[in-house]
Amino acid sequence: MMKQKSGRLATKLSTAIGLAMIAGTAAAQDCTTRIGAVLPTSVDWGRPIAETAQFVVEQVNEAGGVAGCQIEMVLRDTQVDPKVGVDAAKALVELDGVQLLLGAVSSGVSMPILTSVTVPGNVMQMSCCSSSTAFTKLAEEGKTGGLWFRTFATTGVQAAVGAKVASDQGYKSVAILYKNDDWGQDLNKLIAADFAALGIEVTAEVAINDGQPSYRAEVTSALAGNPDALYLGLYPNEGTAAVREWLSLGGTQNMIMANSLKSDEFRENVGLQYLGNALGTDTASPRVASADAFVALYKERFGGEPNGPGLSNSYDATMIALLAMEAAGKDATGEQIAAEVARVTDPNGTPVTADASGFAAARDVLAEGGSVMYQGATGNVRFDANGDVSAPAVVWKFTESGTEEVEYLSLTQVDDFIASLK
Amino acid sequence: MIGVISYLVFFATVASILAIAVLGLNLQWGNTGLFNGGVVAFFGAGAYGTLLLGGTPQGDHIGGFGLFYPLALLGGMAAAGLLAWVVGILTLRLRHDYLAISTFGVAVAFENLMRNAEGLSGGAKGLRGFERPMREGLGDGFLYNIVFLVVVLLLLWATYRFLETLVGSPFGRLLRAIREDETAARSLGKSPSRCRLTAFVTGSIIMGLAGGLYGTFYAFVSPQDVLPTLTFQIWAMLIVGGAGNNKGAVFGAFLIWAAWTVSGWALSRFAPIEAQLYTGSIQYVMIGLVIVGMLLWRPQGLFPERLVVSQSSRKKA
Repeated sequence: MMKQKSGRLATKLSTAIGLAMIAGTAAAQDCTTRIGAVLPTSVDWGRPIAETAQFVVEQVNEAGGVAGCQIEMVLRDTQVDPKVGVDAAKALVELDGVQLLLGAVSSGVSMPILTSVTVPGNVMQMSCCSSSTAFTKLAEEGKTGGLWFRTFATTGVQAAVGAKVASDQGYKSVAILYKNDDWGQDLNKLIAADFAALGIEVTAEVAINDGQPSYRAEVTSALAGNPDALYLGLYPNEGTAAVREWLSLGGTQNMIMANSLKSDEFRENVGLQYLGNALGTDTASPRVASADAFVALYKERFGGEPNGPGLSNSYDATMIALLAMEAAGKDATGEQIAAEVARVTDPNGTPVTADASGFAAARDVLAEGGSVMYQGATGNVRFDANGDVSAPAVVWKFTESGTEEVEYLSLTQVDDFIASLK
Repeated sequence: MIGVISYLVFFATVASILAIAVLGLNLQWGNTGLFNGGVVAFFGAGAYGTLLLGGTPQGDHIGGFGLFYPLALLGGMAAAGLLAWVVGILTLRLRHDYLAISTFGVAVAFENLMRNAEGLSGGAKGLRGFERPMREGLGDGFLYNIVFLVVVLLLLWATYRFLETLVGSPFGRLLRAIREDETAARSLGKSPSRCRLTAFVTGSIIMGLAGGLYGTFYAFVSPQDVLPTLTFQIWAMLIVGGAGNNKGAVFGAFLIWAAWTVSGWALSRFAPIEAQLYTGSIQYVMIGLVIVGMLLWRPQGLFPERLVVSQSSRKKA
């Protein structure tokens, strides 16, 4: 274990990387390990996801880096275009020699990267946000080689908790508006089945396409069944437009929202006065200091609450991947890093927090051959054999300053409830 | 070093596939003057067709016939040709911008169909379950990519030769005659509408070939692969390379795809850390500038069309 002489030096977070690199070259650390990130930085909601990943790298470098080396995250834009994303991933793997790739966000980009770059290249891939059920199927067929992980809890948790909210609120009928992509289609299918299992009538399932000037036709058809409540599986942009039309046409204010709408932008653009009866669902932070620490750290760094979609997932994805790199030791291959993920998310391991000091603590435990339980921004993350996570859940609502928790469901409660639906 | 070669092989494969699609568009626009604004629909038909015919059975949608690969690829091309034939009969009476708008609409409809018709295409989550041909023998790594590149280059060369022969033939002259003055062509007893349809379908089959190879290379296709961006990219390649010149079409494909990827790589490597988050947007600006600059200062493209008057003047070529 290498002694860190420059731990104090880089306390200023804003310049952590630059300083750490200078410090690194000047003294004990004279090596840099590159990791790759392919994220849609040219898209409004993609940039904060990348910022969050970079923030983790800053903290890890502050804690002395991984296996004695400073981490440099090479960030490439996907433009949400599979060709561009795959090319960027290939360049990172072949030209920069990364063994760890973070990304992508869209499943349609992550999937070809996985099948044509990371699996053939034996590189570990960790996505914050890809939600398609296709990955689970691919993993079940054994075609991901154990190299694939994602910290985005499978859509099943989100759907089940949404259905639970409807049932707890006593809604008898619900209309569903869902984003017309892989995530939205999966979510719609799952939650419609969950509603049916709970005896709640689904009056309409309406797909919402991106970027339309008006959603009047869609909203009208959702209104037709006169439902008690509206379920929203949408992103802030089209969510705002659709909800505005829904309300102006006299739709109910009883709404249930997926975590993708947990954004200040959505709250401000719709107006808090209309969101009094709107309840959201999300996978939750555990009741430990590390989750609060994430929010506090995030606020300190970015001056706002982590309210965009996928931020806590991006944080955990980056942190777990770097912990696994630390566990695998210097110059580990992607396969070796992937094999260590279980050791840093071991439910029986030593709990560690999701920040620089937690990383340093984990390093000591891992160096002695022990295992750690990472307590992150999305909970005590634990991957199953397919690289998927389950998670505790939370029900939230909007407030003046952000969001507020209404109800907390522990991992056992979530798992039991999902089992009761079957 | 091996990493650089491996990346270049990968790059060349994608660029060559795109070059085939640009050649298809060049036949339609460069030689016949058909403004196809829906390139991506025919590209997509080829990709989906190939993967459906050649894939392994999946529970939730049709396809997975596991056909011998060349047959699957031909099937994909046929799917693109069939789509082009139907679209062509309906729209080819339209001219210029009207044709562009209607074909653009066809492409958007195609994307939405693939996104929603889950039983046909796997829906938004895409089409999986395709095994790349000869994977058993060659593995998944560098060797496979080399062999695949060779196959793609051969097909690119074959397409290029075919089109050069075609535009050099009397039929090619007829296409240009229609492009320049349809009434004059008709006055000579030619049937412009049939020729336009033939050129449209042939060009679309070539785009379908490109799409089929693209799907094969990634062993995956999803509605995200058939967004209008691709139509724009292919048009940019043709305009920069030089409409009406097959060499220009191929060169333009390599040049624009290189600009697209190298700018991203260079920005990630050399931009200061604070600017890293904005490189995506900077890249868009740079690509836009290249195309605008090209249109302003060299609208005929890097390789302008060489007009051939008669057979005798072609003797040297």
